[in-house]
Formats: sequence, C-alpha cells, structure tokens
Amino acid sequence: MPGSRWASASSGTVRPDEPADPSVADQGRAAGRLPAYVLRIPAGPYRALNPYTKFVIALSSALVAFGVRGWTGPLSVLALTAVIAVAAGVARSLRRFVLGTVPIVASILVVNAFLYPGATDVLFTIGPFAATGTGVTVALQATLRVVAFALSVAVFSLTTATDDFLADLEHRGTGRRLTFVVGSAIRTIPAMGSRAVEIVEAQRARGLDTEGSIRRRLRGIVPLAGPMVFGSLAEVEERTIALEARAFSAPVRRTVMRVLPDGSGQRAVRWLVGLGSIGAVAASIAGRFPLP
Amino acid sequence: MTLRLSAVTYRYAGAHRDALAGVDLELPAGSVLGVVGANESGKSTLCLVASGLAPVVVGGRISGSVTIDGRETVEMRPHELAQRCGILFQNPQAQLSGTASTVFEELAFGPRNLGLPLGTVIERIEASLETLGIAGLADRDPDRLSGGQAQLVALAAILALGPDILILDEPTSQLDPQGTRLVGEALRRLARENRTAILVVEHKTALLDQLADRVVVIDQGRLVREGPSAEVLADPALIELGVEPPPRVRVRSAVTAAGLRTPGEADRLLAELAR
Amino acid sequence: MAWLSRQFSTRVIVLIPIAIAINIVLGYTVQTILKLPIYLDSIGTILVGVLAGPIAGALTGILSNLIWQYAPVIGGGTIGPFAITAGVIGFLAGIWGQLGVYRSRPASGTQLMAFAGIAAVIVVALVVPILGNPAYTNPDIGGYPDWVYTAAVVIAIAAAIAVAAFIYIRRDLAGFWVAIAGVVTGVVAAVISAPISAIAFGGVTGSGTDLLVAAMRQGGSDVLQASLGQGLFSDPIDKTITSFVVFIVLGGLSGRLLARFPLGERLVRNRAA
Repeated sequence: MPGSRWASASSGTVRPDEPADPSVADQGRAAGRLPAYVLRIPAGPYRALNPYTKFVIALSSALVAFGVRGWTGPLSVLALTAVIAVAAGVARSLRRFVLGTVPIVASILVVNAFLYPGATDVLFTIGPFAATGTGVTVALQATLRVVAFALSVAVFSLTTATDDFLADLEHRGTGRRLTFVVGSAIRTIPAMGSRAVEIVEAQRARGLDTEGSIRRRLRGIVPLAGPMVFGSLAEVEERTIALEARAFSAPVRRTVMRVLPDGSGQRAVRWLVGLGSIGAVAASIAGRFPLP
Repeated sequence: MTLRLSAVTYRYAGAHRDALAGVDLELPAGSVLGVVGANESGKSTLCLVASGLAPVVVGGRISGSVTIDGRETVEMRPHELAQRCGILFQNPQAQLSGTASTVFEELAFGPRNLGLPLGTVIERIEASLETLGIAGLADRDPDRLSGGQAQLVALAAILALGPDILILDEPTSQLDPQGTRLVGEALRRLARENRTAILVVEHKTALLDQLADRVVVIDQGRLVREGPSAEVLADPALIELGVEPPPRVRVRSAVTAAGLRTPGEADRLLAELAR
Repeated sequence: MAWLSRQFSTRVIVLIPIAIAINIVLGYTVQTILKLPIYLDSIGTILVGVLAGPIAGALTGILSNLIWQYAPVIGGGTIGPFAITAGVIGFLAGIWGQLGVYRSRPASGTQLMAFAGIAAVIVVALVVPILGNPAYTNPDIGGYPDWVYTAAVVIAIAAAIAVAAFIYIRRDLAGFWVAIAGVVTGVVAAVISAPISAIAFGGVTGSGTDLLVAAMRQGGSDVLQASLGQGLFSDPIDKTITSFVVFIVLGGLSGRLLARFPLGERLVRNRAA
C-alpha cells in the first residue's frame, strides 16, 4: 500500500511495504548492536571456518570417497578427516558415528569376502564358505568408502552448528522456505521422538504387543503411526496460522542478521577442493586416475 | 486504526453450519473490547475472522465486510494483515517459529520476514522486550520457557511487527496470576499509550472487568449482548449463556440475594473490601 | 531455487519438516521397538506427495535422507546416498495423489467382490510367468536360486489374500489402487536403489535383508542382480504396507483438514457429507 505509515511501539514511523535496501555500512553498524549470544561467532581450529567451506570440504570428501575407485580415494579422505577431527578436537565424538557404520560394514565384509560372484582366488575357508582375494579386496575398499563417507559427514556435523550453516546459506541466497524446512525439521525430531515414546507407552498399556509374533507386531504399526500423524497434522494448521501471522509469506528478501566470517583464502580453498574432487572423480570414471 | 465488522457471516470450508452469523462490531483505536461466550460459541472463529486470517489463510466462505481503516481484509495478503493486526492464541509453543535458538532471534523472526533494515529490527526487538518487561529472557532458549514466559514471548513477537490492532484468543489461559497481571498491564498500556485497538477473548471475566471498555457476548455465532463492560458483566443472563461473571458481580448478587444489602450498598461494601 | 520455493504454500512448508521428522522417528521406532524388517521411513514422504504433489514429495524424501545423514540423532549412519530413491518415491506419491489413488471409493455387492477377486487374480497372475520361467524350471540356466522363486510365489499369494480381504472388508475399492501404487513404488524404489547399493556399499544395505543378498549370491547372481533381488523382495512389501498405512490414516482425517492442502480435494470427493 503506497504511502501507508504507521507507528511502531517506540521508534517512529516506518514504511513496511517498501523493499528494504540497507547499505552495507548500515548493516555493519547495526550488526555491531547484536548481542554476543546472537552472533555466536564460532571459534577454534576448523570450527572457525565458514560453514560453507566446511560443507564444501565434506561434500567433496564424500564425492571422492565414493567416486574415486580403488584405495587412494577413500584412504586420502580418511586421512584428511582424521587430521581435521584431531585439529578440531572432535576425534573422540567420532566413535558414535563409527559405531553407526558397524552393521553395514559387517554385511559388506562378510557378503563380499565370502560371496563375491565369479571370484576364484581363494584365500582361506571357514566351513563351507571360501574367502576370495577379489572378494576381500572389494570388501575392504567398500568398507573404507563407507567409513570415509560417514566420518567426513560426521566431522562436518560435529564442527558446524546447524543454525550457523543455515544462516550462512540464507546469506548466500537460499530462500527462507528451505532454511525454515531444514531448521524446523532438525528441531522437531527430538519432540517427535518423545511423542513416539509416549504413544508406544500408551499403546502398550492398551495391549500393544512389541514382543510377540510378527503378525501381532505388524498390527502395532497403525496404532503407532496413526496418533503420530494425526497429532502432527493438527499441529500443521496451528503452525501455518502462526507463521502467516508473522509475515512469513512476505515477498521480499529476508533481512540478514547473522553473518559468519568468510575470506578470499577460504573462497580459494573451496574452489580448489571442489574442482579438484570433481576432476579426480572424472579421471577415475574415465579410467585415467593414476593412483591405485 | 479502526477495525470494523459489518454483517459478517462466516462458514468454514466443508462445514454445514455458519460459525458466525450477522456479526457487527467496531473496534476503535485505543479501545479494549472483551469477548465472552460458552465453549464452541464462535469466539475463536471471531478472532480468526477479525484478524483477516479467515478466509485468507484458513479458507472458508465469508459474507459481509471486515475492514481495517476502510480497507477490506480479504483484499490483503497475509503479510500485510500481520503488520496491521496481530493475533495471539492460547498455546504459546505452537506460535513460536520453532527455528530460533534465543528469544532475541525469535522476536527477530517477524521483522526480518518483512525485510526491514537490521537496525530497525533490533529497535523493534528491544522495544517489545521492554514493553512486556521480559528483557531478561532475551538470551533464553524459547523451547525451554515456562508456559507463561512463552506466552509473553509470543506476544512480544507479535508486537515486533508493529500492529495497531491486537486480537487475543484467551491469552492468559496458561498463565499464573502474576503472568496474567503482566499481560493485563501490558495490554492496558498498549491501549492507552500506543492507542492500540484490542479485542480480547477471555474466560477470566475478572480480567475483562478491569481491562475492557466494552464487552460483547457471543452465542452460537451471534452477538447477543453488547455494551460497557460493567453493564454486560453484571447481566444476570450471563450464566445461562455459559459465562461465569466476575467475582465482583457474583459476590454482589449473592449478597443482594441473601437480602443483606441493596445493590448500591453491596457495591460500596465491595469497594471498601477491595481497598 | 526461489521459483521453486514460491510453488509451495506456507501450509506445505510447515508440513514438510513435520513429515521429515515422522520419517526419521517412525523409521527408527518401527525397526528398533517393533523390531520389524520393514522400514516405514517413507511414510512422511508419501503423505506429503499425496497431499501436496510430486515436487513437494520428492523434496521431502531427499531432505529426509540428507538430514538423517547429517544430523543423526538416532541411527541412520549410511542413509544419505539413498536420497535419490527417496526423492523418486515422493515424486511417485505425488503422481498417485494427483490421480486420486488414495481416495475412498465405497462400493458394495457384486462390484466389490469383482474388484477383490480381480486383485487376487492379478497378483497371482503376476507370478505365473515365474513358474514358467526357464530360470526356475531349468537347472542349467542361471539367475536366482530356486527358493527365491518359490518364496516370491508364496508371498504373492499371501499378499493377494490380504489385499482382497482389505478391499472386501472395508467395502472400499481404493484398496485395489493403493496396492497397485504401493507395488509400483516399491519396484521402482528397488530398481533405483540397486545400483546405488552396488556402487556405494558393495551391494548391501545394512539391514537384515542382507542375508538375502548373501543367499542370492550363493546362487550365482552378480552384485547388481543380488541387490536387485533383495530390493524386489523388501521394497514392494515395505512400500505397499506404508501406502496402506497412509491410506488408513488419511481416511481418519476430517475433510475440512484435508481440503486445505493442494491435493486434499481429490481425497475427499467421495466422502459422505
């Protein structure tokens, strides 16, 4: 509405319908008034890096781990991840993530070592099963790939607060909607988990069987999923209204509040690492990767 | 800014009965209008319709007109409505954005959505915190607040958008007496000093007794009583309409019914007791 | 990116993160607490697809896997690469939503029995070629080991009975279409997951059905074929069960609530007022 003016609670008149165009200097000055608990500039080796840099490193590592066939790819990613983890002080926390890969690693090792189709170079036998050289190689490489991938993502997750990552993405131009979806999803997971526990307890009191036969357990699905989905969908309505009441669908660029430090050095690293990993994967696919 | 409803009839999408029928209402700047009624009488619907959220966000069919300063709310987009008319509901947790790590950032959510310059955003936040006296909560995690604190934060978040009209649907239902008092005082201040027009639905008629200038009673989607708050809240028909009168009125009628005093003397006695 | 996000109403933007959380939590709960060999971790994805269309569904699936990988508050150590599969599942769910697959179609009497019968017949008919397949009957030709085919037939017959009963008891033809949607989604998911599993994970997925992979390899299948076999066993079952759960849950929601979603209209058309 052109020319509409209204008074805010204390600070004079503002025209809300005009697009915001803050000068960079304005932004900097105002940012100085933000309290420290809002700015939350991360500190510490590796953590202090811009989230986008850490993201590019993690993504490139994952790409190389899966895309560069052979030993070099996964091993170099593992080495890099280990160095970063130690530097950032998160090495101990990685244990949980390593444990998370155990089920699949066990499968990979057993299934590929003993049952690699068409392999004949037997190394040793256990009972009726023969482990083949080809199979063991494939098994070990696949294991390395999986662990390298999981740990590089883990290191990113451990050294980067979600809020920081999302704030930086928004600063770089991601819309408010995607930022909201990811941020809200991550924050909703614990609440949803508690709700699931409550529902299971309540249904158990009503006779839900979680230990019985498969048929009985199958019947437990709807009593578990049902309340969860119903409750969630009811919430959707409330939250939609709440968001609209806070101008969520305003067609302007959202004001950037938190800006995390970046630098030309980091930009160079991002380009180098990104292009380098794409190149390595391309070379590997074309069969021209020089290392084993 | 004046909010006006004229002959408003509203029906939710897929419903078979009108939720509101022939409602006429005027809310001038600086006035406080209380709304009372039994459960399911249409109070919450009235809030949604008055704020423009129904039908713009919630769907449904409306006839009649809802205008803010003469401009129809159905012609406005939700973000335009949000800046003119703020709405607060019962459950604070459902109204928080769920994306902020601190109360400060939660309050920033609305102004940032509007693309206001950062300096203005910060000013709005500080002003809202001060108006409600919750500056001490600024660095807290919104998910870890008590019900009362969360409700105050939700109200502050709405105020940060700078609306001149406030609609509140049972805002103190989850608050303790102190929280209720804080909210009541803040609303009174907003009406008097900022000339905010306030519509507040409440079961706590005692609060409305002190806060509201006028009160309307809603029953099955229709306004059945309207007038100055003292008058309407003393109406003996309130109980039949599913509304509990404020303590002052109940004591007065009990005392009068017991034949101990005439109504005038009962009022004087109560005034003395309250001193 | 900006154009894409403008496609979604605020309601859908609110729904997606909730659906993502449901995927992750339900997927985890069903596996660890109910200890069933199905995932149910696409339930949110399918829900969004049916209510809000293919792109929203695909986005939900992709983000669920990526978020589960990045912020693994509960499990999910290697689920990231399967984001592609999850995206396709969501996309398909959106197609089913637009086609009104999950809409109630009350019927009775002969029409009902006819559909129930046809459903059973189709399922069984799908496995007749297996019985005649030389890979099954002729021991000299490779392919999957014998017991795989037998198991497929047995499962198919059990499924046929279950689906026919569902249609008949609920007096609703929708069960027929939901089953088809579920099976097709499952097959597509299996076909897409197989190469991902083969390339990234040496042909396994880390779930209990890896024993199946092992057994199939012993019968002579190569890595890709074994992955595909495992997928074709578990995915159609999982996705069909998930689809039916979504159908049952949607049936319990009020028309008012559903109608507010982009594709909600298509779900409530036949409902009694």
